[in-house]
Amino acid sequence: MKVICSTKDIASAVGAASKVVNAHTTVPILSNVLLQAEDGKVSVRATDLELTLEQGFAAEVAEPGSVTVPAKLFSTYLANLAAGTMELSGTATRASVKCGKSNYDFHALPADEYPPLPAVARGSHFTINGKRLRDGIEATIFAASNEEARGAVLMGTLFEIDGTALTMVATDGYRLAKFQTTLEDGISGSERYIVPSRALSEAARNLSAGETIAVSALGPQSNQLQMTAGDAAITVRLVDGQYPNYQQVIPAKFDRSVKVNTSALIGCLRRAELVAGDRASMVKLAISGQTLVVTASSDVSGTAYEEIEVEQTGEDLTIAFNARYLVDILNHVKTPQTAIEFLGPLSPAAIRPAEPVEGGEQLYVLMPLRQ
Amino acid sequence: MFVAHFDIDAFYASVAIRDDPSLRGLPVAVAGSSRRAVVLTASYEARPFGVRSAVPLYRAREACPQLVVVPPDMPKYKAISREIFAIFRRRGHPVEGLSLDEAFIDLGEVAFESAREFAAAIRSEVLAETALTVSAGVASGKMVAKIASDACKPNGLLAIEPGREGAFLAPLPVGRLWGIGPKTQARLDAVGIATIGDVAALDEAEARGLFGSWGAQVRELALGIDRRRVESERETKSISTEETFEYDVSDDRKLLSVLREQARELSEKLEREHLCARSIGVKIKRRDFSTISRQTHLAEPTRDPRRIFAASRQCLRRATLAGEPVRLLGTRAAMFVEGDSVQPSLFDRVSDS
Repeated sequence: MKVICSTKDIASAVGAASKVVNAHTTVPILSNVLLQAEDGKVSVRATDLELTLEQGFAAEVAEPGSVTVPAKLFSTYLANLAAGTMELSGTATRASVKCGKSNYDFHALPADEYPPLPAVARGSHFTINGKRLRDGIEATIFAASNEEARGAVLMGTLFEIDGTALTMVATDGYRLAKFQTTLEDGISGSERYIVPSRALSEAARNLSAGETIAVSALGPQSNQLQMTAGDAAITVRLVDGQYPNYQQVIPAKFDRSVKVNTSALIGCLRRAELVAGDRASMVKLAISGQTLVVTASSDVSGTAYEEIEVEQTGEDLTIAFNARYLVDILNHVKTPQTAIEFLGPLSPAAIRPAEPVEGGEQLYVLMPLRQ
Repeated sequence: MFVAHFDIDAFYASVAIRDDPSLRGLPVAVAGSSRRAVVLTASYEARPFGVRSAVPLYRAREACPQLVVVPPDMPKYKAISREIFAIFRRRGHPVEGLSLDEAFIDLGEVAFESAREFAAAIRSEVLAETALTVSAGVASGKMVAKIASDACKPNGLLAIEPGREGAFLAPLPVGRLWGIGPKTQARLDAVGIATIGDVAALDEAEARGLFGSWGAQVRELALGIDRRRVESERETKSISTEETFEYDVSDDRKLLSVLREQARELSEKLEREHLCARSIGVKIKRRDFSTISRQTHLAEPTRDPRRIFAASRQCLRRATLAGEPVRLLGTRAAMFVEGDSVQPSLFDRVSDS
């Protein structure tokens, strides 16, 4: 293979792909990225066998072919090149770069040993506006579990598709995030996929928000999902498992609520959390007479008291939350006002933007602390 | 200022004899029953045979064929230990527990005579309330107090008057000094230093030559000058449990069932201490004695045995043993928060397993 390309284009594609590589892999070829040149295009691929990222760029292909090079070494090298043009030629054992007056030879591994992409037996297929998908990813995946011990299901984000309606749900068991939006082209019938959240953060990073994103289930059992936009594609093995019945934890009705200034509440909570100590970062919210009082205390640090005016509906209430969880949620509410609904001090509370948001509907559910 | 060191005489063995008077006067060893069991405690009658703690049981039986072996009863020892520590704390002095049967008590600035009386009073209270004898050492510092209580065992009290520490220590073998292990001892022996008094007689330069930057401190200790404070309420940093297998285990199911049992045990310990843990880890000793440990952090502190087990199972998986035989397996909980878990799950019955 031989290509002539822009150093910037190749650095950004190899840099993006190399993020997928598992630094601790014991399989040498999985430390590498695969570069394939064909038809005026180079496609760069990296995989950890669960998640595969492909990123393409335009290049002058003098000789089609492929080469695999160590991801970290090659991406760091490319990141240090000045903007300009370079020539890359590859064989089964070597990748050679000519750039200005410098020549580098990198040890390569045979490209035909690189794991192939999954069989392309396509299942359901839909398309979604790139910005909507990114908004949905941003609005939900932070609520997924990071704890491997609790299993892959809770580390994933649920995609529920019904016709042209998409619902994304993530929960770690303590808080839940839900985002509903509409697809450009939907599917006939309905599907449920549990997508590893890390694949979604790669999607948000690499798939352009300006384009339409095509999503297809792959494999005979639809056990993989592929998201493509332009020259980029992300393929991920779906989580096999039963997603918890999330609808059951969203209370059907609430008996009191407040509307509160989002950034003012975030400020109060962040300050109050400082004195809450490490015991679950407990802050108490007392709602009475159109006022929300935030308090926290610990033997170690002292006490906190903050008052904010709110629009209160229904009876007074005192409820306790983990301040970190509540701040995480409020950070994803992009409207000036947040609506919080309650059903007593021990039932999950619902948090949402007080005004409708263009492109999707957000809902958060947070389990209060025992006081 | 005075420090008292208390050490219950042959604790486990004394408890066994107390609760079964037919054992009185016999050589008794408390030990488990496994192939690899070691003596945990030996009665004073057994000690002349070389039967003492950490001696492998089979060797103890060889040395003393008439040895009576009693299985340990940890819950009982813990309960008795709590009673005794309550006596130690009774007068409000700072207490630093070293183990179930050993503690330092900070007596503060008192007269020498009252320090001795205090120790005598504690000894008679422990005897009256638990029928166990405890030996005590009283001195101006921790090390001398501990060496004194050792020196007067069993059932003794030795108080070292201020100013007499150096003279008390001088004839003792140098290995009794804190920080002098067998290796250093051999090295000192080679240059003719055998007793603590020999160390005390060194000048500063000589001490530095022999002990490096520790020289000045070692010399001070040898003179009986000990500035270490009694650290009361030594915080629990981690709680662990481990099992050494009689025969090495490579069966995954067996390892998992051990982890499950350990999770249950840790959960009970955490419950007793009113703690929840944020970090769970496993320790694995392989056949070749190499040790691996893996730990994981939890989003929410817990003492739920199912969550502890889920975490330890994950750690075991990450250790990628691939059927390699395991000699020892342990589970450890750390990063504690006090009290009960306050964050309930949204799906308490659905997914929290």
